[in-house]
Formats: sequence, structure tokens, C-alpha cells
Amino acid sequence: MRHHASLFGLTLALPLLIWQLLFFVAPLAFLVALSFWTVRNFQMQPDFDVSNWVRIYTREVFWQAYLRSLILATAATVLTSAIAFPAAYAISFKLSESAKRWIVFILVIPFFTSYLVRVYSLQVFLSDAGILNAALGYFGLGPVLMLNNTFGVLVGLVTLCLPLVILLQTFSLNFVNRDLVEAAHNLRCGPLATVFRVIVPSAKVGLIIAALFSFILSFGDFVSPLYLGGGNPPTLSIMITDITKSGQQWPRAAVVAITMIVSLLIVAFASIRFAYKERGR
Amino acid sequence: MQNTPIVAFDQVNKSFGNFVAVENVSFEIGRGEFLAIMGSSGCGKTTTLRMLAGLEAPSQGRILLDGEEVGDKPTWSRDTPMVWQSLALFPFLTVQENVEFGLKMRKVPRKERIERARKWLDRLGILEFADRNIAQLSGGQRQRVALARSLVTEPKILLLDEPLSALDAHLKVRMQSVLSNLQKDLGITFVYVTHSMSEAFSMADRVIIMSRGKVEQIGTPEEIFHHPTNRFVAEFLGSSNIFTGVISSVNGDTLSVRTKEGVFEIRNQKKLEKQAGDSISFTVRSEQLKLDLEDSKPLLNSIVATVVGEEFSGAMANIFLETADGLELQVQKPHEEIRKLGVRHNRNVVAYFDPDQCHILSEG
Repeated sequence: MRHHASLFGLTLALPLLIWQLLFFVAPLAFLVALSFWTVRNFQMQPDFDVSNWVRIYTREVFWQAYLRSLILATAATVLTSAIAFPAAYAISFKLSESAKRWIVFILVIPFFTSYLVRVYSLQVFLSDAGILNAALGYFGLGPVLMLNNTFGVLVGLVTLCLPLVILLQTFSLNFVNRDLVEAAHNLRCGPLATVFRVIVPSAKVGLIIAALFSFILSFGDFVSPLYLGGGNPPTLSIMITDITKSGQQWPRAAVVAITMIVSLLIVAFASIRFAYKERGR
Repeated sequence: MQNTPIVAFDQVNKSFGNFVAVENVSFEIGRGEFLAIMGSSGCGKTTTLRMLAGLEAPSQGRILLDGEEVGDKPTWSRDTPMVWQSLALFPFLTVQENVEFGLKMRKVPRKERIERARKWLDRLGILEFADRNIAQLSGGQRQRVALARSLVTEPKILLLDEPLSALDAHLKVRMQSVLSNLQKDLGITFVYVTHSMSEAFSMADRVIIMSRGKVEQIGTPEEIFHHPTNRFVAEFLGSSNIFTGVISSVNGDTLSVRTKEGVFEIRNQKKLEKQAGDSISFTVRSEQLKLDLEDSKPLLNSIVATVVGEEFSGAMANIFLETADGLELQVQKPHEEIRKLGVRHNRNVVAYFDPDQCHILSEG
């Protein structure tokens, strides 16, 4: 019987296992191997040469791009979480069940349209002669530079992450035990203090996972930094495309890509560990 | 102030949309009293407690807390700590931090906060778990944490919403005595909502029985148990022998009552105002209903019924009877007597009672 039960469990897990092996682990292993190959006359050759790693890691521009990617992703995550939370709180705690369903539906709509199309429309919106500056000009202000700078990138990244983060936060807030909220009120904790003392700690795991998604999406994003940030200074994603375009340097691009993946793994691991950390003995 | 009741409900109503949860409820609670509010689910007992806690505002009527009208005053401005059915302990705080929470909200300095929390943990016998996570405690230990958290601010009143319902029977009885002793030692008012008669009757000084949003009866457990005022209370307390009929004649204290089961003579011991033509309900307790075989001589106040079941209840047996009209009766007798009579399943028997041993329900 036990044998059958475990066989059944294995069968259920099999599709995921095959998929992950085929499309995640295998390419990743290939990427690692690739990072040691060499390029001669624009031709890649299997090799075991650490020069790609040395070459990338000793270039200052790589570390600048790394830092910029980290800062952009962190800023986008903080901004998105801060903007999303009041909305998620209102949806979860203040709306009726039917209104909640409508809002969830509306939040899914942005995923219907391509992110690239949305970023192009943001370009029109944010440019010097764009709609926003025209509106500011009407009040005798501006034009304010909103494109090809950090502001533009952040607008793109936050727009990208916001619907997903609001959804994840809302779901986690829906699971907050309402008795805890009342108990806090009953112990003289006012409504605002209860948000920070009870609701946020109760929904901690979900809020951190939502922020993690935002970080992962922003850190690897290539569209916003390129089309709204002008691609200069580069982020790691932009750097990868630059490297591959110049002289077929796929092995060096692989070094950057592996660095990104490892960084995300560390961030993900640390945040999940933090999320599930328990108090007391 | 000492003589005024700590709580007074005055014609309080609460409705949610079209649903009336609490209707015209009035009662008072004395200082240091242990009051239980009892009823089946949806009877309005929890809503009544929540209005007292300030978690719901009454739709109509006045609620006085310690002489002050509290009506819309939110729960965070009142001093009415509550123990939830789910206990509502904060899982992200340790035991000690949970107990300190109310003190922290009152801006009690850290040192004093820790001291007072530890004092209460000690008093409830859970000081050794102070640094534990809530998830690592047993049901009974959590119960004690919830009590400590509510009592640490030394309130005049404690509200409890079915706090023992999740515990197993053995632990329930133990916690009942913990609660009883605590209430006596502290001398503060406990308001205890429950659907369990054994909890209410074993702990409370007075019990309020509610149904469909209304108060059915208020009294000491003794009064309610022995003198239910209406059919609902009698049925709720498990009285099974309830007769309803119309008074056909009054002769001093003796009333003749015509029911579907025949004409009975009963004694109006409480000297209630009753006249011929009034409708009336009365009960006969199962241990006071007597039993004989069908072919015996005619008896006063007798009913012919069929034995439909038998149940053991310690030294006693409960015999379930049913009349031809479908009235269910219950008789409690020692096993010995049952055996001597030769009571068997499906056998017809005569149940009868003394006019002095019935209880008239004053509200008909």
C-alpha cells in the first residue's frame, strides 16, 4: 500500500519535474558550461577557460551596472509595496465580497496587454512633448524631464509590478484572522496602530512574497530600463544584450546571467527565511 | 457608584439589514457577578456580548457601563476586555508579548509592563512558557494566556465568548474551576456567553436564556432549572414532559386542565392568577413521573403510552414513552424498579403524576 501511495505521489510530481529539468536545470547547466567557453573569430568553442569570469568581474562598468540594477529593483520594490498596501488593505478590509471579485478581475486586465505595448504608451505619456508635460504646461509648469532617466524607469517598473503585488497582498490580507484585529482593538489598539502592530505582522509572509516577486521582475527587467531609461547607464539585462551583440560574446553574457540568477536566489532564499522566521522558543 | 449595576441594557435592539439579531433586551449586571448568557446559535447572545464590548453599536436603546452611556463608543476607548472563542492570540508574538500587549497600548513603562505580565503568567501557572511561541502551547495553556492577556490591565469586567468550546471534556471541567476561582478571587464581573447548560449552570450566579434575539428568562441557575417560566426554557433545559391545555375549572388551588392527553388535576402552588378558559402549560420532571402496568386500577392524572426506548444513565434508567397522539414522555427510575415492573420495549404502560409534582410555566 505504502509503495503504491508513493508511486502515486511521484506520478503527480512527474510533469513538473520533467518540465523543470528540461527547461530550467538543463539550460542553467548549459549556461554554466557556456561561461567557460571561448570565442575565436566570432565562433564559440567548447573550452574550460576562466578568462570570461575574470574579464567580467574586473570591469568596473559591470559592478556599476550590478549596483544600478540592485538599486532600481530595491527602489521599485519599496515603491510598489508602499503604493500597493493601502489599496490591498482597502480591498481586503473595506469592500464587500462582490466588490472584491470585481476589483480582482480589474487587476488581472493589465496582464492582457503586452508589457512592451504598455511601455511604448508610457513613452508617449512621459516624453517632453507628452501628455503629462502638456498638462503641466497648462499650469505654467515644466516641462519636467521624465523620460530617459531613473524616474522613467521606476514608473515603468512600478507599473509592471503593481497589479501583481496588489493581488498577492490582497490574498494574504484576506487570510488575516479578523478576530486578531478585533482583539487588538479590544486591547485599546486604535485602527491605525492595529494595521502596523497586527495586520502587517499577520500577513508578513504574503507581503514579503509579493515584494520578492516585485524585486525579481524589476531586477531582470530589460524593457523599462531601455525604453524609459534610455539604456544608459546600463543595467545587467541591458549589459547582456550589449555583450551578445558585440562579437558573439555569449560566454561573457552567460557570466552576467549566472551572476543575476545567483543574486536572485540569494535574495529569494533570504527573504523567505525572513518571512517564515518565528518568534520565541 | 458601588450600588449602581456595572452594566445595564435598556431596551436594546440590534439589526443587521433586515435581520433582527437582538430585540428589546433589558437586563442589569451587578458588580462582582458571574453572569452567563445562554442560548443556541443565532439567539443573539454573542451579539449582546459584542455590543457590551463595543465591537457592535446598538441600533436602538441604551447600554450603560459603570453608569456611563457607551452606545457608539468604540471598543478601544472602553475597558471591556474579551476572551474570544478562537482566543485570538497574536501568533507573531511570544506568550509574554501577548500578555504585555494591552499594557503597551496604555503606555505602561517597559519595566512595569514586564513585571505585571509575569505576575499574571505566574498567577495562571504558565510563567515557564513566557518566551514560547503561541503555536507551541496546548489548548489549556493558550486559554490561560488569553485570560492573562485580558486580566493584566485589571479591568472591572471580563467578557468571555464561549472560551471553552474547543477544549476536550476533561480540560473543560478543569478550566471551569479555574474561571470560577479566578472570578471569586478577583471579585470582578464576568459575562460568559455559552451554548452549554453545564458550563452556564456550574459557574454562573445568574443566567440569561435567550432565543431568537429575545430574553426568555433571567434568574439563578436554581430558579431557572426548577421554575422555567415558559415552554421554550423548559424545552431548552431538556424537560421532556410538557403538557399544554386549557383550564376547565378552578377549585381553590387545584386546576383542572383539559389537554389532548386527557383532563389533569394540578396544584397551583405559586398561586398564579389563573381562571377557567386560560391556556396553560406545565411540566412534570422525569423523576417525578410514575409508572405502572396498563391493566392496573384507574389512577389520577394517568396517560397510556408505549415504551419506545430505554437508556442507561448511571444508576438510573431513562424510559422513553410515546402516546397514541405522538406526545413524547420521559421517565427516570432506578434499574431495580424497572425490572420489577417488567417494562419492555413496545409494551403499553401507564404514566401518572401527583397534582403537587407538576410545575406551571407562568408565561403559558
